Amino acid sequence: MEAVRWLREETLRIRRPLWRAGGFTALAAFATVGQAWFLARLLAAIVFPRAAAGPLWKSALFFLVAIGVRAYAVSLGRRTAEAASLGLRTDLRKRFLRHIQSLDPLTLRAQASGDLMVRLVDGIDALGPYYARYLPQASAAVIMPVIAVLAIFRADWVSGLILVCTAPFIPVFMVLVGHNAERAADQRFAQLRRLGAAFIEALGHLTTLRELGAAQRVADGLDAESETYRQLTMQVLRIAFLSSLVLEFFTTVSIALIAVFIGFRLLAHDLAFSAGLFVLLLAPELYAPLRALGTLRHARLEALAAAESLQHIEGAGRPPPAGKGAAPAAAPVLALQDVYFGYGGQPVLKGCSCTIRPGQVTALIGESGAGKSTILQLLLGFGQPASGVVTVDGKDLATLDPVGWRARVSLIPQAPTVFTGSLRHNLLLAMPSADPPTLDRALKESGLDTVVARLPAGLETPLGEHGVGLSGGQLQRLGLARAWLRTGACVWLFDEATAHLDRESAQCIGERIRAGASTRTVLLVAHRLEAAQKADWVIVLADGRVVEEGPPAMLASQAGAYSALLAAAAP
Amino acid sequence: MRGYANLRRLLSLMRQDRLRMLGGFGLAVLAALAAVGLMTVSGWFIAAMALAGAAGTAINYFTPAALIRLCAILRTGGRYGERLATHDAALRGLARLRGWLLRRLIPLSPARLAGLRSAELFARLRADIDVLEQWYLVVLVPGGVALVGTGLLIAAFAWWLPVALLVVVPAVCMAALAVPALLRQRTREDAAAVVQETALVRGHLIDAVRGHAELLAWGADAAQAHQIMQCDAQATARRLRMARHEALGASLSPLIAQIAVLGVIGCAYPVVMHGHLAPAFLVMLVLLLLAGYELMAPLPEAAIQAQTAARAAERVFALADVQPALREPPVPAVMARPPGIRFRGVALRYEKGAPLALDGVDLDLAPGARVAIVGASGAGKTSLIRALQKFYPLEKGEITFGGQPLEAVNGDDVRRQIAVIGQHPVLFNRSLRENLVLAAGDAREEEIARAVEAAQLQAFVRALPDGYGTLLGEGGVRVSGGEARRITIARALLQEAPVLILDEPTEGLDSRTAQELFTALEAASRGRTVMVVTHRLAGLARLVDEVVTMEAGHIGGRVPVSAYVGGFHPG
Repeated sequence: MEAVRWLREETLRIRRPLWRAGGFTALAAFATVGQAWFLARLLAAIVFPRAAAGPLWKSALFFLVAIGVRAYAVSLGRRTAEAASLGLRTDLRKRFLRHIQSLDPLTLRAQASGDLMVRLVDGIDALGPYYARYLPQASAAVIMPVIAVLAIFRADWVSGLILVCTAPFIPVFMVLVGHNAERAADQRFAQLRRLGAAFIEALGHLTTLRELGAAQRVADGLDAESETYRQLTMQVLRIAFLSSLVLEFFTTVSIALIAVFIGFRLLAHDLAFSAGLFVLLLAPELYAPLRALGTLRHARLEALAAAESLQHIEGAGRPPPAGKGAAPAAAPVLALQDVYFGYGGQPVLKGCSCTIRPGQVTALIGESGAGKSTILQLLLGFGQPASGVVTVDGKDLATLDPVGWRARVSLIPQAPTVFTGSLRHNLLLAMPSADPPTLDRALKESGLDTVVARLPAGLETPLGEHGVGLSGGQLQRLGLARAWLRTGACVWLFDEATAHLDRESAQCIGERIRAGASTRTVLLVAHRLEAAQKADWVIVLADGRVVEEGPPAMLASQAGAYSALLAAAAP
Repeated sequence: MRGYANLRRLLSLMRQDRLRMLGGFGLAVLAALAAVGLMTVSGWFIAAMALAGAAGTAINYFTPAALIRLCAILRTGGRYGERLATHDAALRGLARLRGWLLRRLIPLSPARLAGLRSAELFARLRADIDVLEQWYLVVLVPGGVALVGTGLLIAAFAWWLPVALLVVVPAVCMAALAVPALLRQRTREDAAAVVQETALVRGHLIDAVRGHAELLAWGADAAQAHQIMQCDAQATARRLRMARHEALGASLSPLIAQIAVLGVIGCAYPVVMHGHLAPAFLVMLVLLLLAGYELMAPLPEAAIQAQTAARAAERVFALADVQPALREPPVPAVMARPPGIRFRGVALRYEKGAPLALDGVDLDLAPGARVAIVGASGAGKTSLIRALQKFYPLEKGEITFGGQPLEAVNGDDVRRQIAVIGQHPVLFNRSLRENLVLAAGDAREEEIARAVEAAQLQAFVRALPDGYGTLLGEGGVRVSGGEARRITIARALLQEAPVLILDEPTEGLDSRTAQELFTALEAASRGRTVMVVTHRLAGLARLVDEVVTMEAGHIGGRVPVSAYVGGFHPG
């Protein structure tokens, strides 16, 4: 029900063009009446030449005008509705995108991100036919019958009465039947979807199925499932099609009734032929928009399904107010003071305090879920602690201008994102103002230059879905190159940045990090202990708290958390 | 024309349902003709009744009145029956198409289906299959009905008013074929561009969501949003242009039909005046033209869909007709059990012109050998496994498995003896039980329980709401990375294969989870030939006796595990 309300609220945004489209529909309805009227007069004048109420050419001319107006109004109405629908979709996309980008990454990550794209592209597009076709058709289904019935009443009140008596049954029965059909469909929907998806799933995992020797068996199983799918679907359709049966029944019966009634009254001289013919010509037009609406029902269902998922996008999270303070010029001291933080109701940091000093490499280790990545996010100003503060040179990070602060920080994520575009675009996105020598140096120092040399179009090689795929190691080099491009950064945050590199490259990169650390504040998150062993300072995190810290050699000699981790990792 | 050959082939795939499809089509024609008949007979009836009334002559009104009732019943019932019958036939066709395609693609995976790893190509295959599944419903039935209707319309005019064919035939051709074709040609370019631009929007959006943290960190979020909205604006402008053309078409085709009505009246006027055509028949013919046009209305859409379907069929058949990379021997040789494995000078290339993935591999593994294959990414570790699984043809050299060269044995038989626990565990959207027994369809209850115990999954199973019957994945219970791996371990155990391959079994898991997995892995590897594929040995060393290093597609060295660990692992 909420989805219905959401759709209606969004509809209000384009109510003006929709009203205009409705106006065109009404114009088309009047033209349709005129068209039937003049065609009836034209034919009557030929069938009964002596009773003709004017010259033939006049009726013909008016008929031509009527069909011209109708064509024009239909065309304009559709264009108006389509333009409104496209405009609304663009607005929605822009609005949602702005909202999503205003979220901090932790909140965004909590919202199943792959799905978000589908919602923003396909979900919003699924609204298109609803606004462009269904809503105008729904208004036509009201406007056209009203105008047609009024015109028929004027021409022949008996036919008008027949229509008025039969027409109201249509919506009533359609709602009754449609409601049952929807419920029946809902009940089976989950089951149907699962059956429908099984085939695509098998197609996507053919190699795994072959590895398991299960391909043939799964294919046979799918045959049986398809049969179940068919039977279930037919059960739903048998009821769903009843609504079209009702509509068909009333359309047909009222036309047949009118034809027979008119026929007998014409025989008895009770009615002018032109009036009788006019009613017969107009009667099908009365039902045409309703029948067209029936074929667009799925547009509404799809829009409702899409609205179901779209309505919650803007509900999640609210952007925090940004600070204004200037970022530090030189490598700062970073600190967490008794920080509590959680997301999704799940506490992650529970009173975490630690200090990351400039001029050295600090390693952060601990089990997954201990809160390592969360600390990195907080240091970037993504998300704010529930209590406690994150400080930069003693100042609360929340008071600093986030854009200025992030310009001083380089984040090297575990799996750098490859953006659609060339390799150059991928590098410069991190630092649009980087000059060619800086780019060359960053390539060399990250080891990405050997990768570039082997690419067909060098730096211009397209990456991403449409381009070349990068291996895990190459990806990490890309992340490092981006970091090296940001020469102004005085804080380096590495999130397990060398996991996919072979030992030699990792060593090489490690040396580069050590060299850079002399003028920077460097924090390394390490899932593997090798990286930590070479750090100047190790912070061991467990269950959202710092349990131990100190130089690695010292910690290794104590019987603490660090040496326990070391012992566990040793073969 | 080749496209239509493909469509014929599609029909022949569904030949077992030919009678059902014909039946559905017959009902559709019946309902359509009844609808036209209702209007036509009604028109004639009221005109004849009016004329009889005016002339004061008697008229047999029982026959036409009965005919009107008959048409009404046929139209109502026929339409309901038609929709049920055609949907039933379409669903049966869908099942056949899916089954056929899956069986054709099984032997092609993975060597010939490299393209399907791309999400975009896979999405296109999905869309193509959707189109083909809808083909009967949206092309064949309405298109066929329109053709039958057009034929009858022309026959009726040829019989009663041949001179009007001069108007009717060109009008039909224009309204149903020429105008839609012209508009299609005008929008073709835009339609193709919209698909590409939408794909681009999709790509940039995914990037924006996945790379949100990085974009924020670099201050590049606004640039990314701008890029997305720019692509979107381009696509929207094109869609608007297409909508204008469509709106034009939606009004132009009926306009032509209405003008044809005027033309028919003009042609008929002198004929009626000369008494060569009864005036009642003129009314009948006009109504026939109007009602007949309704039948033709779906023709343009059907024509578009026919082309779409032809292209989809071409792509799907092109894929399905690919020859498998490997031919299975007519009489497979019998392999020794437990099998020994021998690589001799093995070279492998994934595509012509691609670099060698394996370049002269020599390797012997006696039954029960436990080795680690270690090397950097790209060294050929995975290719080695793929070659052993008989998934790819060798460029040079020979692999023997159980004393038989791979060419002499059946690929399925080889793979049945190799269980793989991979880096990315593939779980299907099915029940836990179905997931477990994929490789061993006839596994007994106690066997499953034993495998679950060895994989240390008992606690997981106990916590599930429906035990073994619980659905996994989307729409079911979410499974963590460690649990997913345990499930694949249990699955591999049930396969009872003498050879076990562990492909980066602990990659992406934190050290405690990895630690906990070792017990299960040790249980799985007991008494089998074990190959552990990894780029870093670390804790996996305890699973093997020897270490084989790979570099640049060949074996670099082979040492006992004690020597390897001792030589490399830093203190």
